[in-house]
Amino acid sequence: MILPTIHSFLRLTGLLLAVLFPSSPGLANDPEFFDVPFANNQWNIGRRVDESKLRYCIDRRNPDWELAAEIVEAVAGALLLEPQRYEVESDFIVEDITRIYAIMLEHCDIHMGFKLTPGGYDNWITLTRSYYHAEYVFITADPDLLALGNLAPTRAIGPTMGTSAHIRLISYIKALSAEDRWPIYPMGTSELVLKSLLNGTIDVGLLWGPAFWAKQVQDPVYAELHVIDPSPLPPTILGVGALLLADKIFLRTAFDEAITALIEDGTIAGILEKFNFPATARP
Amino acid sequence: MSNKLNINKILLLAAMVFGVSGGFAAADAIDDITPVTDEMLLNPSDGDWLMWRRTYDGWGYSPLDQINKGNVSELKLAWAWGMSPGGRTQETPVVHDGIMFVQNSSHLIQALDASNGDLIWEYDYDLPDDARTQGVRSKAIYGDNLIIATRDARLLSINAKTGQLNWNKQVANYKKGYSFSSGPIVANGVIVQGATGCSKAQPGGCFITGHDPATGAEIWRVHTIARGDTPEGNSWNGVPLASRHGGSAWISGSYDPDTNLILIGVGQPYPWNMEMAGLKPKISDLRVSNDALYTNATLAIDANTGELKWYHQYLPTDGLDLDYVYERVLIDLPFNGKMRKQVVTTGKIGIIESVDRTTGEWLWAKETVRQNVVLSWDKKTGKKTINPDTFPVAGETTVNCPADPGAHAWQPAGYSPLTKAMYVPTVEFCSNTTVKTLDPGEIYTGGGMQTYSRVEHPDGDSNIGQIFAINMTDQSELWQYRQRAPLTSSTLPTGGGVVFVGSMDRYFLAFDDTTGEKLWSSGKLSNALESFPITYTAGGKQYVAIMANHKSGLGRLSSITPEIQLPPDNPATLYVFALPN
Repeated sequence: MILPTIHSFLRLTGLLLAVLFPSSPGLANDPEFFDVPFANNQWNIGRRVDESKLRYCIDRRNPDWELAAEIVEAVAGALLLEPQRYEVESDFIVEDITRIYAIMLEHCDIHMGFKLTPGGYDNWITLTRSYYHAEYVFITADPDLLALGNLAPTRAIGPTMGTSAHIRLISYIKALSAEDRWPIYPMGTSELVLKSLLNGTIDVGLLWGPAFWAKQVQDPVYAELHVIDPSPLPPTILGVGALLLADKIFLRTAFDEAITALIEDGTIAGILEKFNFPATARP
Repeated sequence: MSNKLNINKILLLAAMVFGVSGGFAAADAIDDITPVTDEMLLNPSDGDWLMWRRTYDGWGYSPLDQINKGNVSELKLAWAWGMSPGGRTQETPVVHDGIMFVQNSSHLIQALDASNGDLIWEYDYDLPDDARTQGVRSKAIYGDNLIIATRDARLLSINAKTGQLNWNKQVANYKKGYSFSSGPIVANGVIVQGATGCSKAQPGGCFITGHDPATGAEIWRVHTIARGDTPEGNSWNGVPLASRHGGSAWISGSYDPDTNLILIGVGQPYPWNMEMAGLKPKISDLRVSNDALYTNATLAIDANTGELKWYHQYLPTDGLDLDYVYERVLIDLPFNGKMRKQVVTTGKIGIIESVDRTTGEWLWAKETVRQNVVLSWDKKTGKKTINPDTFPVAGETTVNCPADPGAHAWQPAGYSPLTKAMYVPTVEFCSNTTVKTLDPGEIYTGGGMQTYSRVEHPDGDSNIGQIFAINMTDQSELWQYRQRAPLTSSTLPTGGGVVFVGSMDRYFLAFDDTTGEKLWSSGKLSNALESFPITYTAGGKQYVAIMANHKSGLGRLSSITPEIQLPPDNPATLYVFALPN
């Protein structure tokens, strides 16, 4: 339960939302090519009129989609808004983030499931505060390997390409002499990291912890894989929040306030625990 | 609805400003269209434009001379045609026997009377909702049929007379990122098509395929990323095939009928940052290089068998998205006193380079714009010394000139046999480059992993756009034109001694091919001119056509030319000019 004072504040916020919700997709600046979102027939997408709803998007391709839905529904409850869910249906493996513009323009005000990285997003996007923190994990099928520091330099590491954890790994191995460096085989997706571990292409994988968690839940073939201690590297931990179009400042503020309250009253920790999800709710 | 009205207003205004002069071709002209033979492709009628660069040699030159230096100033708008708005398109119309064929970004294929723009037929390809609604740069015509490439990685054969679909061939799975952004050429009876979009979702890189025009069946496939235990296959710093990405063949190639070779470019490795791609730091195994073949190379491929005859790589280990994928111009001229069959290309760095197209031997290079990426090159091999300060490194911001759109972008250079000059459109600018992580979401992690903040060149004169006219007999500069607005179309030299080019600030321009004097400028058109102008005849009259559209590569320069305002809904309009009757 939310504390009464917070509840009152959020009730007021919810009322204000109903009045002030901006819904046009106007952009503050003129973004550059590839950063320019475009939706087919975007000029035919009208203004939303039902302002009593919190329209949110989840994507089943995200490992946390079920618990993300529970979190945003809790937020909607706190804001006295009726949650309206839209499930993104797509079987694309990788997509450019500009694609999300069309989805949000048409279907939702909040899209759950984005890692918070400084400078990681274009200026047509804004992000909420984090509702949980999770980490990238080193995993292996070798039962005797318990820490990265014990991995022989001849054995290969396969990181998910371009992540913060991958960059941290690159920085570390560049500080080593050539003969002490592990071969690094960057992989395009978490799925490829896992497959490459099973087929022996790599000895250690480095991927987003929730992605590994979801695969282990879904498929017993991954049960033999285990997380190892990242030392000598520190863990790479990122917050996860929701994405909004940049003009939704008022909603973002309200969402942030609600998340803070839901973390403080233990609601989000309870959801994470319910799913046995590898993340923490931080104030 | 309001946008359509706006476009109509723009077109009406344009017609009032320029004065419309109409043609009078018969509406049933399509009935007389003739099949396109191999001989026609080898020696096209002066009035036809049958493929991307008009001829197999990639010159982008037309011998037509009704419009010439003496009268080009009288050009008027003849007709215009509104096309699907919003989607990025870089259309090159095909014209045969007075009929023009265009492909809208929505993948609506249309046949128009090329004398007056009247619609004859249209075929609406059902592009999947989740495929990118964007145009494809070019198309082919062969026999009775148009050969169309689609954004969802299919090839279509459409009857040119009726607009009826003959066959529809899926070449690759677009949901794994594969796509076609440029169309095919037909060489010696084989459809040749390059693929793009081979990024994180699909390791192993891109490919070029050969197809049977009768059925679309794939005859051969050449992978653009080298494989196997060969020097080329071992050029990826020891990473397995599962970790090799990129090598898009996103620009159509040229064809040398004497050797039956397709000469086609391959783009950069992916991701751009070499450390993220696993290409740096270089491993110590001396049998292994990190050149990343066949990225940034010319491939010479037998048109009928798909056999790779030779390759030449211009820029190994490219960490800046500086493709050498663009036009391949085939020119036979002496070099060092000996006649050479050359294939000439200009990479994004703006360095023109020539290779002997029979052997792959590197011949010469010519620098155009100010750049800081290449410090020098070996005068015998072309091997470059790269400025280490331009290598993007995590945690630092580096400066590179040019930035990723390229000093020379996808807008190809035209070559005129009259002047023996190549007219290279260039832009001059730099980038503050920062490595960017791709954490965002489990799915939304596409992109280049570097942020390019584009800025003017510190030693520049604020003229972003240029044309370099280079004498190809001795690589000397014939003339140079500079202006503030980026020049955003290919150059079109003609038998009339005129070179046409379009600009981002919505002007279509004509220059004297020997002096560089500006001879004509259109009024302001509806949008930036980011496409490939063509010229043709219909009913015996010469026309010049260009597509207006924005957000196509050099649109990225809008951040350093904020004074150039373009319509937000990105209208796409085909403009056709002619002399008054």
